[in-house]
Amino acid sequence: MIELVNVKKVFNAGNPSEFSALNSVNLCIAENHVTVLKGPSGSGKTTLLSIVGCMSRPSAGRVKLNGREITSLPERFLTDIRRKTFGFIFQQPNLIKGISVLENVMLPAYPLGEKRSQLRIKALHGLNELNLSSKANAKVEWLSGGEAQRVSIVRALINDPGIIIADEPTAHLDTKLSYRFMEIIEKFKAEGKTVIITSHDPLVYEAAMVDRVVNLRDGRIEDMPA
Amino acid sequence: MNAWIEKQRYIIDFTISSLLRRKVKNLGLLALYTLIVFILASTMFFTYSIKKEASLILKGSPEIVVQKILAGRHDLFPVGYIDTIKQIRGVVGVESRLWGYYYDSLVGANYTLLTPPKTAAGESHAKTASVEGEAGDADSAASSKPLLELNGAKLEPGTLIIGNGIARLRKLTRDDYMPFRAFDGTIMNLRIAGTLSSQSELVSSDLMLITEDDFRKLFGIDTQHVTDVIVTVKNPSEVATVAAKIKKRLIDSRPIIRDEILRTYDSIFNWRGGMMIVVFSAAVLAFVIFAWDKASGLSAGERREIGILKAVGWETSDVILMKFWEGAIVSLSAFFGGVILAYVHVFFTGSLVFEPALKGWSSLYPNFDLTPFINAEQLTTLFFLTVVPYTVATIVPIWRAATIDPDSAMRHTGE
Repeated sequence: MIELVNVKKVFNAGNPSEFSALNSVNLCIAENHVTVLKGPSGSGKTTLLSIVGCMSRPSAGRVKLNGREITSLPERFLTDIRRKTFGFIFQQPNLIKGISVLENVMLPAYPLGEKRSQLRIKALHGLNELNLSSKANAKVEWLSGGEAQRVSIVRALINDPGIIIADEPTAHLDTKLSYRFMEIIEKFKAEGKTVIITSHDPLVYEAAMVDRVVNLRDGRIEDMPA
Repeated sequence: MNAWIEKQRYIIDFTISSLLRRKVKNLGLLALYTLIVFILASTMFFTYSIKKEASLILKGSPEIVVQKILAGRHDLFPVGYIDTIKQIRGVVGVESRLWGYYYDSLVGANYTLLTPPKTAAGESHAKTASVEGEAGDADSAASSKPLLELNGAKLEPGTLIIGNGIARLRKLTRDDYMPFRAFDGTIMNLRIAGTLSSQSELVSSDLMLITEDDFRKLFGIDTQHVTDVIVTVKNPSEVATVAAKIKKRLIDSRPIIRDEILRTYDSIFNWRGGMMIVVFSAAVLAFVIFAWDKASGLSAGERREIGILKAVGWETSDVILMKFWEGAIVSLSAFFGGVILAYVHVFFTGSLVFEPALKGWSSLYPNFDLTPFINAEQLTTLFFLTVVPYTVATIVPIWRAATIDPDSAMRHTGE
């Protein structure tokens, strides 16, 4: 379970351009659930997601992961938690150009020093699951938008994380591919993974498998969870 | 431990693929970097080897040369002074020398004219030149490289033995005649009896051997004077003491000991090497600016890549390690490439590129092959002046970029 207590995030603190992205956010995200953070542009969805995913620290407040306070951990430990616990799917696939699909998928596992043959099998298996095995050796710039998105999903799963974080995953996908994406999310849920998605796409927050929708506006949660 | 090794392998593999992805940029940088190392290493190899070569050759030069000084300048040495020097304890031999310079206005070159030492020319007045390095000659085997090699040519009145540089410049061969204008305006035609061995060309390229009589006729020097004298001392550790005694007894003389000549050669070639480096420092500076720009100004693509790596779980130290390997691969390849090319250039092609600047003077350039001498200290210095600054210059900006929050990858939506 992830718990956020009185979390604030201020950018450019002390400057005339100071901007408060999150204001006293209190939130509990349950395990094995699909949670959608919904809200207009600039409401603080991505900021909240990056704090939950240990990608940035709050300016104030605490974040607990399975009861363990992680806000004050040094960067090294935070990185370790991030790569073992979270899998990230970005709005853009964010793949590294010039290298193959397989290499892109294996990239998050490099710092762990896993045996190459095992890692390769794992990556190929992941690609196969999303019907991408024929593209394993292709360069990422040759992929279509949907294929690139699926590659980024396989990459997010390579370290077998318990929590999947997706930031506006359908923003650049057409309806058909968006439905396909939600099917994959359903599969994650069935496998017992926790999924946190930011989106203002009705196709996402109105989907049947979504357990909870959190509304954000001006850095605050509008309606408290029931 | 295995995981650690595997991690390093992954990072090195990724670094290499990252270098190959920016092929044109990195190859351009590598070529420029290699060129700089090549220039610096060539200058270094050349200067060091030539100094070493000169010092080996000059080992056979006289222990003390005594000149007469007049108004601070070199004057003709009175033969009468020789007995005074001979009386000094420790002196085993004093030999007079006749030598001078002759300017050839036809080719704009300055020749060094020398009457051969008596030991080389033989004691008899027939002045038959001895052949250096003949098999079984115990004396020649004992000495290091001889100062002069006469190649069996006979030096007789009316003849000359010339250095290879002069022979090339004037296109002269054996039995050709060479005209000289004597001190009184008369023309002296001297026949070429032979050329000097190319082995000693570093010091004999501009040299002409001439008989004593012809020398005196050419320059108008009477028999009571010589150019200078060379003194042989019994105990080498007493050379400085004997030189001091000569100076004390002959107030207007200047004894020059061999170590001073070696020091002079050393500083001449150091100066030439330094001059080369100054000339090329502009190129080095241009490279430094280029490298700094390349290293410090990360491209948007590189920043994005670092953001992605951090977002997918790479630590700051992993990113720095990757960029360290990138810098190290480029700079080490350039260093070894440049050093190997410089080695081939200096020791196999005779320093084709730098020949005019580093060898010889006037219009005469010695033509010789250098024996490879490599100084580990200089190579280490070159390594620290090229590889280390580049690698550090690469890491500093990466460190700044790598410490940014990984969430920047989430916010940079542009592909």
